[in-house]
Amino acid sequence: MNNTYFNALFFIGLPYVSVFTFFLMTIVRYRTHGFTYSSLSSQFLENRQHFWALMPFHYGILTVLGMHILAFLVPRQVAWWSSVPLRLWIMEIGMLAAGLLTLVGLVAAMVRRRANHKIAVVTTASDWVILALLLIQVLTGLGVAMMHPWGSSWFALAVTPYLYSVATLNPNLAVVSVMPWMVKWHVINAFLVIGFFPFTRLVHILVAPNPYLWRRPQVVRWYRRPAAAGR
Amino acid sequence: MTIKRLLHPIGPALPILMIIAAGPPAIQAQDAADFFRSNCTSCHTIGGGRLTGPDLKNVTQRKDRAWLIQFMQSPQAMIDRGDAYALQIKQESRDVIMPVISGMSPARAETLLTLIDAESKLEKSQFAGLQISDRPFTEQDVQQGMAIFMGHRKLANGGPPCVECHTVAGAGGFGGGRLGPDLSKAYERLQGRKSMGAWLYSPATPTMNLTFKNTALKANEEILPLLALFESTAQKGVEDDRAGTSAFFATGFLAAVACLGLFAVIWKARFRAVRDPLVETSARKVLGGR
Repeated sequence: MNNTYFNALFFIGLPYVSVFTFFLMTIVRYRTHGFTYSSLSSQFLENRQHFWALMPFHYGILTVLGMHILAFLVPRQVAWWSSVPLRLWIMEIGMLAAGLLTLVGLVAAMVRRRANHKIAVVTTASDWVILALLLIQVLTGLGVAMMHPWGSSWFALAVTPYLYSVATLNPNLAVVSVMPWMVKWHVINAFLVIGFFPFTRLVHILVAPNPYLWRRPQVVRWYRRPAAAGR
Repeated sequence: MTIKRLLHPIGPALPILMIIAAGPPAIQAQDAADFFRSNCTSCHTIGGGRLTGPDLKNVTQRKDRAWLIQFMQSPQAMIDRGDAYALQIKQESRDVIMPVISGMSPARAETLLTLIDAESKLEKSQFAGLQISDRPFTEQDVQQGMAIFMGHRKLANGGPPCVECHTVAGAGGFGGGRLGPDLSKAYERLQGRKSMGAWLYSPATPTMNLTFKNTALKANEEILPLLALFESTAQKGVEDDRAGTSAFFATGFLAAVACLGLFAVIWKARFRAVRDPLVETSARKVLGGR
């Protein structure tokens, strides 16, 4: 495929199709199938392997995603932080560790969904598609971190201007089109995740129990013998 | 509705509107100068001698405009066709072929040639090249260059340090960035002091061009020490060995393992199951030691 067509298709066409699908279908799903707006948790069916999937994945992905959003919203401040080698390396090692935690959690979730009969029964094709997309996203992200450091520095210089140009409906592919293929793959797959998002259990992000973060604490009492406390 | 009917209300004013849309000549000249500065000065001067590409002073007297416009739009095609003069330029440029410049339309090429003609008539063109000292590099220059490269010394115009996207032999720590190429041998690749100096002052790649568009490096204070660093690394002839990358991965891996250990400790007493522990306890009782 001609490079110009490839770039136009994946860095102009795909983002708009994905974002449009995201907004349209999240609204449609909320209005027509409101009760499916959930992570459809399987924790009640199995809660041991679940811990090693849920905890590393969520702590990892929230850290990494948070930094990506920060680099998009305040690129100058992130670039300022990374302009001193020691600070840059602290940030990069932290993000690499978070990325590896995400990978551990994601692989654990996939193994659990495949190996545990009860969980396999409640797993749909859409779950496998989004798990595969997320796996590609995490692997390419780790690949970028290893092959093309230091992303926390150049993200603000190389990717943020492109994302801003797309957000302001004036796509500028000058820089993104000359990025290494691993970076391109990571960006393209991110738009695929956004486009497929409304058809998956990822919609729980939009209705996460956010008030849990600031509401008054609730005391939960468990009636059990001390010997069973460790279970 | 036909185009004629659409244009009818503004018909009489059309020629005036076209002139306004075309812009005054001064603005066009400024536009050409900006374009030349952004896209051409990393390889060419006007009256400052050759860099990677030839000195463009009086270029229209060496070759006719039609040929030049054709070459400016598609240098590779002219070479592939076996054009003798295009092949000569390639040979003189040590086989570096001029890239296709985005936005180089025939009209743009024409305005650039007009600019080059005008600049050629001046005693000293604004594009005569970077005025950088010819003095020999010192050890102190090399150290200053490394300080600039690593970001220990800030760039005067606020540009980012090289280490964010590039590495160089001797970068230390976890090494430099790898979005762009390893610059250990760049001094050789960019053909020495003058060409690399011009390149650093006005980088030709899209990423570098965008990054340093408004934050150009200072000639003698920044480019000179960087050139000293790159000359010294090129002389050593070795690139960054990626030991820093391996150490980076190992540290990140250990940090991730530490986090997992922390999870295990913090949530040691976490409630994990109801039925399974009951079954396991009962099974132990019923089966005993078996």
